[in-house]
Amino acid sequence: MPIDLAVVNHAIPALLQGLKVTATVSAIGIPLGILIGTLFAYMADAEHWLPRLFARSYVELVRNVPFLIVVYLLFFGLPQLGVQASSFAIAIGATAFYTAGYFSEILRAALKSVPAGQARAARSLGFSVWQVQRYVVVPQSFGYLIPPTTSLIIMMFKDTAIFSVTSLPELTYQSNLMTADTFAYLEVLGTAALLYWLSSIVLDALGQVLEARERHWRHR
Amino acid sequence: MISWLSAHTALGPFFDGLLQGAATTFIASSLAFIAGLGLGVLLLLLRVAAGPIGRYAVMVYVSAIRGTPLLIQLLIAYFVVPGLIGISLTPLQAGILALSFNTAAYISEILRGALTSIPGGQVAAAQALGMRAHQKWRYVLLPQMFHRSIPPLTNEYTVLLKASSLLSIIAVSELATVARNATLQSDLPLQVFSATAVVYFLILLCASSISRLIERRLAKVMPNAH
Repeated sequence: MPIDLAVVNHAIPALLQGLKVTATVSAIGIPLGILIGTLFAYMADAEHWLPRLFARSYVELVRNVPFLIVVYLLFFGLPQLGVQASSFAIAIGATAFYTAGYFSEILRAALKSVPAGQARAARSLGFSVWQVQRYVVVPQSFGYLIPPTTSLIIMMFKDTAIFSVTSLPELTYQSNLMTADTFAYLEVLGTAALLYWLSSIVLDALGQVLEARERHWRHR
Repeated sequence: MISWLSAHTALGPFFDGLLQGAATTFIASSLAFIAGLGLGVLLLLLRVAAGPIGRYAVMVYVSAIRGTPLLIQLLIAYFVVPGLIGISLTPLQAGILALSFNTAAYISEILRGALTSIPGGQVAAAQALGMRAHQKWRYVLLPQMFHRSIPPLTNEYTVLLKASSLLSIIAVSELATVARNATLQSDLPLQVFSATAVVYFLILLCASSISRLIERRLAKVMPNAH
């Protein structure tokens, strides 16, 4: 099966356009999810049972329902409730929703990895609850936080491919349009896969740089 | 109960196809998991015991699988692979193929992680006792490697159960497809997809409780492995 480079050349501009949408959705949705996930991580270990129950059920929901079903639920379900949301808004919402569930578990595990005596010692030295987190617990949890967070970011970046079912013009949707036009499945899907792969490698490398920084900082 | 639900509720079309769809989800994930386990062991052997070429080939394969969306892999398995190997594949076959090759990459990394977590002193001890290479693998490394991999492997199986919902994109009639079709017939997407979410939730809850049971059993059989 020979590869038709003319088709690849023809496909690249549209695919790059799609990659831009993929990157935009990730760049907004994932940080938003990390913010919400941080909130849930603290809620999951709260004193009061209500936030605890809420945060833990949320995590169970996200971990046990496929992303595709969440996307379908939002995309087809919201209009039934009279809410008209664009496929872009739904993509941001679904990405944030899913990222939050996974990130809250990652953060909880990372925070628990810091010995409880550290927080107690800081409290007894007169640190406020906020200062304990800011200066003692959170900085020490970074070593446990960065590697799984990098994996999560890459996972969510790849999962945005699912938004092609909502006609969001991201990378996978663009490649579907191209293959429907040209039937050049190998060339178009191959190029799309390469673009995803390169992006994942870049994200992974950024994570490694952060890890190296963290190690350097810790050993000073 | 399901027949009553399909006869007496507005979600009839969904409950009609529910069992069939859930069975397809379960069978596709299970077959892919078994094939992926075999492929994963093969990849691990290539990685640790076949010289630099084998090692780099496996590293590139794992990076490619982990760096691209499963959806793209599915589309490649369905639209590209039949042309390359000259065999036509049904959507279900293409789906299981893609899931197997996808999960194999993750499984080989799980196994490698378990293998490298075994303290080096054990290999030294095996050699000091005069064990040959195959005895070292058979009696020291492999049993502990598989034991340590059980929790992440069962987790990988539940990931696969969830990921198999993507097979609906290439028209395999599993759970997500049943749901899609039911919304077209009943025009109640909110209810149908909520019900689907509940069904997935129950299936995954079953899978994770079974895996916890297996872990507890194994902890009794090999209490000193950790």
